[in-house]
Formats: sequence, C-alpha cells, structure tokens
Amino acid sequence: MFAELMEASVVISVLAATIRIATPVLLAALGELVAERAGVYNMGVEGTMLMGAFTAYLAASASGSLWLGVGAALMTGALASLVFAFLVITLRIEQIVTGLAINLLGSGLTVFWLRAAFADADQTPTIPLFAALPLPGLADLPWIGPVVFQQKALTYVALLAVPAVWFFLFRTRPGLDLRCCGENPKALDIKGHSVAARQYAAVVFGGAMAGLGGAFLTLAASARFVPEITNGRGWLAIVIVIAGMWRPVPVLLATLAFSFLDALQLQIQGIGITVPYQLLLAAPYVFALVVLALRRSHSGAPARLGIAYRREGG
Amino acid sequence: MSRGAFSGWRLEPLADVPLRRRALAAASALTLAALLCGLLFLAAGANPFLAFAALVKGAFGSWRTATETLVKATPLIFTGLAAAVAFRARLWNIGAEGQVFAGAMFAYWVQHGLAGQPMALQLPVVVLGAMAGGALYAALAGVLRTAFRIDEVISTVMLNYIIVYMLSMLLLKGPWSEAGGFFEQTAKVDPGSILPALFPGSRLHLGFLLALAAAFLVQVLITRTPLGYEIRAMGSNLRALQVQGTSTVRIVLVVMALSGLLAGLAGATEVYGVHYRLKSGAVAGYGYAGIVVAILGGLRPWGVVCAAILFGALVNGATYMQIATGVPSALIYAIEAIILLFYLAGWAASGFRLRRAAHVR
Amino acid sequence: MTDAPPRLEIRNLTKRFGSFTANDGISLTVRAGELHCLLGENGAGKSTLSSCLFGLLQPEEGVVLVDGRALSLWSPADAIAAGIGMVHQHFVLVPAFTVLENIMVGTGRGLLADRKAARARVAGICRSYGLALDPDRPVSQLSVGEKQWVEIVKSLYLGARLLILDEPSAVLTPQESERLFVILRQLAASGIAVILISHKMREVMQSDRVTVLRRGRKIATVDTAGVTSDELSEMMVGRRVRPVTAAAAAPVAPAAEPLLSVGGLRLALARGRATAAIDLELGRGEILGIAGIAGNGQDELLETIAGLVPAEAGEIRLEGRPLSGLSAQAVAAMGVGYVPGDRFRDGLVPDFSIAENLILGAQWQKALRRGPLIDAAAVQARGEAAIAGFAIAASGPVMRCARLSGGNAQKVILAREFAKARRLLLCNQPTRGVDVGATEFIHAELLRKRGEGCAILLVSEEIDDLLALSDRIAVMFGGGIAGLFRRDEADVARIGRLMAGQGAGQAA
Repeated sequence: MFAELMEASVVISVLAATIRIATPVLLAALGELVAERAGVYNMGVEGTMLMGAFTAYLAASASGSLWLGVGAALMTGALASLVFAFLVITLRIEQIVTGLAINLLGSGLTVFWLRAAFADADQTPTIPLFAALPLPGLADLPWIGPVVFQQKALTYVALLAVPAVWFFLFRTRPGLDLRCCGENPKALDIKGHSVAARQYAAVVFGGAMAGLGGAFLTLAASARFVPEITNGRGWLAIVIVIAGMWRPVPVLLATLAFSFLDALQLQIQGIGITVPYQLLLAAPYVFALVVLALRRSHSGAPARLGIAYRREGG
Repeated sequence: MSRGAFSGWRLEPLADVPLRRRALAAASALTLAALLCGLLFLAAGANPFLAFAALVKGAFGSWRTATETLVKATPLIFTGLAAAVAFRARLWNIGAEGQVFAGAMFAYWVQHGLAGQPMALQLPVVVLGAMAGGALYAALAGVLRTAFRIDEVISTVMLNYIIVYMLSMLLLKGPWSEAGGFFEQTAKVDPGSILPALFPGSRLHLGFLLALAAAFLVQVLITRTPLGYEIRAMGSNLRALQVQGTSTVRIVLVVMALSGLLAGLAGATEVYGVHYRLKSGAVAGYGYAGIVVAILGGLRPWGVVCAAILFGALVNGATYMQIATGVPSALIYAIEAIILLFYLAGWAASGFRLRRAAHVR
Repeated sequence: MTDAPPRLEIRNLTKRFGSFTANDGISLTVRAGELHCLLGENGAGKSTLSSCLFGLLQPEEGVVLVDGRALSLWSPADAIAAGIGMVHQHFVLVPAFTVLENIMVGTGRGLLADRKAARARVAGICRSYGLALDPDRPVSQLSVGEKQWVEIVKSLYLGARLLILDEPSAVLTPQESERLFVILRQLAASGIAVILISHKMREVMQSDRVTVLRRGRKIATVDTAGVTSDELSEMMVGRRVRPVTAAAAAPVAPAAEPLLSVGGLRLALARGRATAAIDLELGRGEILGIAGIAGNGQDELLETIAGLVPAEAGEIRLEGRPLSGLSAQAVAAMGVGYVPGDRFRDGLVPDFSIAENLILGAQWQKALRRGPLIDAAAVQARGEAAIAGFAIAASGPVMRCARLSGGNAQKVILAREFAKARRLLLCNQPTRGVDVGATEFIHAELLRKRGEGCAILLVSEEIDDLLALSDRIAVMFGGGIAGLFRRDEADVARIGRLMAGQGAGQAA
C-alpha cells in the first residue's frame, strides 16, 4: 500500500487536493480569526457558510454566472453576520446561544428554500463549476506547479488572504485598533473611538468570508447544493482558529493539516483499502480533539474574547 | 467620531427588568416572528392563513393528531431538559444530538441480546441503558473540559459528528445491520422491549409519561436540592463557589452526565417507542431542536414542556400542511430558528431603553 | 500678570443622578502650570466632576471653559480634542501590547501604522519629563509605577494641556509616589495644568492650590502654602477631626498556646518572585492587622491560610492541628471564616437572594436539609436572623444580592463568615468602598468577635483602621513580613517606610 501511495503522481495529487479541500475552511477560519481578534466569538460560522453555499448556487443557476454567485454568497454572509452582530454587540445577548441560532437559521432556511425553489429537490440542476486556473509560468514548476499553481480562482483568493489578514492585523493602524477591541476595549473607548463599529466590521467581514467559503463548496467543488453540505466545516474553522493561536500563518498550517487528512482519506478510498470509510470521515473531528487536548491552554486568545463590552459611566 | 452616540438617541441598559416587561417584549417579538413566517409562506406560494390553519389542523385537529403531537414532543422534552439543566450552570452542552445517539446505541447494545425476555426485564434495561449511554458520552466532554481545558462547546460538537459515523459503521453492513436488509438500520426490536402505548388508536407511548416525570424531577432538583443550588450558583458566579471550596470539577462532571442522561432517554423513546428499530433517522435532529426548546422555555422544566409541545405541533402539523397547501414541511425548521432569534432579540431588547441624551445648556 | 484666561474654568457645574445631586453648583479655576488638588472623602463628588471634565458624563447645568472657550463635552473624544487628558485610578492598558502600541492605539490617520514617527514622538516626550520607558516592552512586564507613566505619556501624546490624575498614588510605594510628583512638577513647569484627585494628605500638601469638596459642594479653594493639613481635614469632613483613639475593648490576656501558628511559610506569588519565610503567631481574641501596599502578598497570605492556594513551603497550624494542605472546605470546617477582598467576584452569587448567599458553601450540610431537599424554612430563618443581626438594609431575605449596596453586600458576607469563624477570621479589606455608617458598624462587629475569643487576621489599606482595631500590626512587603509591632509601638511614619521596603533591606 505504501508503495502505491508514495508514487510521485499520487503524492502530488494528494497535496493538490489538500490545498483545494482547505479552501473553504481557510476562508471561514480567516474570517473568524478577524472577528475573534475583535473580541466576538461567532459560533454561527457553520450556518453562515451554509447560507453562502446556497445563495451562491441559487444565484449561479438562475443567472448562469458563477461570479454572480460569489457576489450573492458574500452578501448573504455579510447580512447574516450583521444580524448576529446586532444581537450580540448591541443587544449583548449571549454569543454562544446566538451563534447556534444562526446555525439553525442557516439549516432551516436553506432546506426550505431548496424545496420551495426547485420542484424536485433531489435532482436539482447542476451548474458548471469554476475551472482550474493555472497561473502562467508558475504552473509549470516541478512539484510546486501542479500542487499550488493549478488551483481555482477562489483558492488563490484564500491563500492570498493569509498574508493580507496578517498585514492588516499587525502592520496597519486600523488593525491595531481592532486587536485592541479584543484585548481591552475600554482602552480604545476611552480615547474616544467606537468599539462597536469596529466589532461590527470585523464580524461582517468574518461572515462574508464564511459565505465565500460556502460558495466554494457549491461553485467549485460539488456542482449543486445538498442540505448540510458544509458538514461541520464551520465548526472546524472555529477549532482551527484556536489551534492556530489566533495568528494567520499557524491557522493556515492547521487548516492544511486537517485538509491533508481529508485528502488522504479520499486517496485511500480510491485505492480500495479496506478501512471503514466512516473512520476516515470521523478522523478530522477526532484529530481536532487531540490537537486541542495537546494545546493545554488557550494561549494567544484575545483577553476579552466573548465578553460583551459595556461602557460604564464615569 | 462618536459624537453621534451622545447627541441623539441612546440605548441605555436598565438595572432591573421586571418579568412583565420581558414577557411583553417576548410576546411582541413573537408576533413579529409570526409576520416574517407569514412572508415565508407567501414566498412558498401559499396563502399564509390557509397554511397556518392547515398547520394547526395537522397538529391538533383530531384525537389521533393531538396525541401524535405529543409523540413528537416527547424526545424534545428530554433534549430540552438536557439543555436546560446544563445551560443553567452555564455549561454549553451542544452535544445532546450525539448523546441521543449514544443513549439509543447503548440501550440497543444491552437490550438486543435479551430478546425474548419478559418486558419487566427488557424495559428497565432499555431505560437504564439509554441513561447510561447518554451520561457516559456527555461525561466524556466533561472530562475533556476539566482535564484538558477543552471548551465543552467545541468538544460536544466534535463528538456529535464522531458518533454519527460510529453508528453508520455499526449499521451499514456492520455487526448490527439487519440480516438480508438493504437499509442502514437494525432489525425490528423484540416486542418485549417496546414501550407500551398509552391509549389504543394512537402512538402515544409510555415515553411521554417518562418525559413528564423527568420534567417534574428536574424541577425539584434545580429548585430544592443542594445539587440544584450548585447548578444555579455555578451559572451565576462560578468563582464564588470555588472560594467556598466547593469542587466545581465535580459539579461539571455531574451536570454533564445528568444532561447526557436526559438526552439519552430521547434516544430510547424514539427507538423503542416509535420506530422500533435503531437507525440514524430515528434519533437525528432532536439535540439541536432541544436547545431551542430549552431557551424558549426559559431554561425552566415546565417552560421546556410547553415549548416542546409547541415544536411537536409544528413538526406534526407540517406534514399535513405540505399535503394540503404544498408548502414544504422543511419550512418549520426555518420557523423554529426565526422564533428563537426574535425571542432572543425581544428578551434582550426589553433590558434597554431608548433615551434622548441630556443636553448641556 | 497677563490676563491669559485660565487653562480650565468651571462655572456652576451641577450633575444629578435621579434625585441624588453628585455635584452641586461647583465653580473653580485652574491656571496653566498649576498643580491643583481636588480633595474630598469618598462620595464627595470628585470622580463625578472629573468624569464630567473628561466627557464621560454630561452635567445638567454649568459651563466648562478651556483657555477661555466654552465647550460641550459629549464624549472623551471631545475632551481629548480640547486638550484634556485623564489618568484613571484603574489603568486602561492592554497587557499583551507593548508600551508603544498602547500609546499608538486609536491615534493617527492613514492605513499604515507609522511606528517610526510614533516612536520618535514618544522618545521626545519621555526625554522632556525624565521618564525611562522602553517602548517595545510588553506592558504586562512593567511595574505599577511604570504603567502609570505609560498612562501619562498616552495623554501627553494626544496633546493634553490639562491632565487629570485620579488617586494616582493609591497603588504606588512612597518611593514611586515621590518620583511621580517630580514628574508632575516638571509637567506643571512646562505649562501643563495638573489636577490631582486625592484624599491623602501627604499628596495634597505637595500641590499649589486645593479645592475641597464635601457632599457634592465646593467648600473652598485655598493656596496650599497657607493652610495646615488639619484645617484641610476639617474642611473635608466638616467637623473637628478627633485623633484616632485606641479601641474601646480591653486587650485580651495572652493565652498560653497560640491559636494560629505559621512557620516558615513561603507564599506562591505571581511571576515566581522569591519570597521570604513567614513566621507568625496569633492568640485567641487577638486582632493582627496587616498593612502593606496592594500586591505584596497580603491577598496570597489569606488565600493560603484559607486553603484556596497551596503554599510553596512551610506549615500552618490551628490549635496545634495542621491546616496547611487541607482543602478550603476542610479549613472552613475547622472554624475558619474568610472574607475575600473582591466581594462581588469572590464572595457572593449576585443572582441569589440574601438567604441563599448565606448558605454558600454549606449547601450540603445536614442541618440545612430535610432528606435530599434543602430545608427552605431553615434557610429563610437564617436570612432573617442575619438581616436583623447585621442591620442589612434590604426588603427581606429573598432580595437579590445584586441589588445591594457595597456596604450591605459586605454585611451579608460578614454574617455568613462570622457564623463560620468559631476560631479564626480572615478579613481582606472589609470596609473598602463602604460608607461611613456601615464602616463603624463593621468595626464594632469585628471587636465583638474578638471579644468572643476569635482570632482575626485583618488586611486593610487604611492604616487608620488598622491602628484603631488591631492589637498588633504586621507590615508585608515582597511576600514577607517586614515588621511586626504592638499597637502602642506603632507609628505611621515607620509603617510607611516598611511598606516601601525600607528597613527590611529588601528590593522588590
């Protein structure tokens, strides 16, 4: 078995699949990273991804344009998290409960709308997927070429987002202010700046990214929407932010680690090894628990994560 | 800048909010939710009033349908209680979904070897097995929190996904699959293990009474026992309990086990009271719905019962609604979520007041 | 003398909270380059006034003028734009950020964070006022005094020409306090107006002018050079100040065997600071007061004896029986009560009623149960007894503790812990933030407990309280005991030196 796995073409295929599979989770994780750096714990990533996936599919199949689908997903994600932001930032409702409610909303609305919009919900029309976008010149490099530079457009977006988020958080002035909201919002408030505005922006960004991640699932991976298509990727994104200590590059590495497991599982199935496929499917979740158990403390967490900010008078 | 926050309108938190204000706000929020749902009905191409009427008729229209509503409510009472108990202690057990599975699986595991034995033996085994299975699976998350500091929100969600795959392994050409069958399910369970029906002509079974008994016991536990005191104290100020030397580790493990125990019972009632087989479709979905039920019920046992019956009515009426008006029954899941969100918003908003900011001369 | 308008002028400022008037028609002026002190007791209205100046609160009446211009201060942003800066009593810093980042946050324009420019400006400010700050050190690693400098630089960076400091030396050693005043003097010399809010006479006497507030009204503004501290104290409290008298109760005869003995105890202090061994003994019916600046091990000492935190080394014995190594519950069972310093965080469950809070920790006791259930009648009765016995201002035992005032909440905790403390009572800041009436009551109760033969370890920031109540006083510094004397041997100057670490020969 090992000999088969170690063949160059197989290795390349697994690594390329890793990056491809990583895309939706990476997008959602980077978005959640920003939101959590601003102090907001958005548990509703799963539902937001789901809603993004669905509206992307709906818009694309209705209009024939994939990029319109992307736009729809971005807007859906932003809108859903705007609602979430209002509930937890302005009304200060418990963040965990509200996140769950968003997940339920995502599940419920997408299933309902799917059945309402399509006569036969089990045979919804497929849409043409995003094609791979090999980058000229780079795609021909040995090894790296086929693995990294023959991916789809959204994957490049996700990979570029890693240094972009890093730069924003750690090298720009608004990024510093945003991190302050997650560490000690009073310090920013007392200088006369709005904590809430920044938290809203961070949460909406996170939601848009989650929506975009969902869009990848329907527009670049499977060609139609099925209920619960996200299958826990949103939750994995949350785990990855913790495992990645709220820093973009470790988040990327953690995402790749999880996706590698997934890619490996697909390859093994293809070869026909008799391991029950359910074990392989469950592996990422078990792995998540192991990773969290090994990281004994929430080091690197923004100090005021999850705590709604209330300005005390005087 | 932030000038706008001060000159103009301002949301001011109220110090002490009377229950009446909260309830009034919740009621208005639910009315708004109903309006939004009406829009959804329209979007599905149906007359909202007709659709709603069909929903009600499907839920309570006859003796048979009314008892069927209670059948649908039964597992929700259990998972609602499970969530309520944990949430009162601010233990975010999102794992009722998996704990229902665990309860059903453990019950089946200990029961199916007893086929042929009298009901007096099999039924208690089923009930106790379900309790044990759910309790153990939930306690696992408790251990992960106390020994490894893993947030129970995340660990329970991960465990939810894991156990679904475990069940699939057992049922799809696995050791428990029905011999000669094509579906992912077990053979029909022994008649001696089936929860007896309460009335002829309806599916309402013993599980419903067990659920009501559980609600009563949980109410007594929370309000009148030392453990209930500790649960409420932990939910309000965990640190103060620790300073007194009370072991919060013990409380976390006990409460998680208790929560899982209740959820596990939902698994048993569905397998042994309704479907008579262990299969994924029999036990899925109740955990997350139970959380909604718990919140709408104000985390109080009798509120949970009422909310569970409401949701049971929605589920039951939806099938008739789909037949009568063509509105997909899946709408009710969206309705559940909308009700929850508006309820949360209404409850929270009632804790604020809109004021014009005072002006300096 | 030029007729430049004063840096700050307040005319007739009035601030009300409902029916309560916190500031009543206050008028004062502060000139540029002046060190102006705002003096008053707790509740006199100092904090409210400064909050109004910083835009955190909006007064109902009155005008605020900076350099002659009338201003509407709707928010801190407006105050900052007007050149008003504030250093709060509880610092508003981000421990995870560096000094530079803390100063830069919320400033500047443009996308990129211009660290070079900021660094240069901060260096310039530090040079001008003799502050030694490393801009790249994380704030979590700074000493309390250094953190305060960061707060000052923050305000100066934003262009403050009026600086308000709220009780700045509450958290400083006398050495750090002196250094602070040197810096403040330099600020004043460079033309900045400094307002110092304080109720400590030592600081007040170092200012140029003093405004005394009492119960929301301004009593007077005087030149500091022309008054004595006694006159100021009299203005502050409105009556002749009686010198502190010895406690009324007669000293208890020393028992043969000490009740509490602590030998070779080393506390586990934060950040692994090495500590000296603690030896002390406490007899029956004796109050040992523990003085010291916050953060020198007093909290840890009480927590260790109470069994919440294990000691690094050493042993504790109660009536000869070992106490160290026991759980908090076991320690309480031996007749030890513990009144924590942070009453709402550590001492109470805010959503619970008074009666329920009284049984916190005792919820499994057989005396409070009937079978598996809690005996509600017994719990209620305890609640009523406590309300009566401790004069708690509440509507009844079912009232939620979150709605109690600080003093009444403290009384609930005392009622609970007094009942537990048959032998030993550990008290951390029992009268902090408590009004005068409740404070007197609590003092009387402590003396009564002492009269019953209970030993009391009393940690307090108020040296006067300790002098009034204690039989002996210990001073803690750096996690060890720097000095120990009987009340009649104690003098404030000596205690102050020991609090600062002078005399024990120990660096921080």
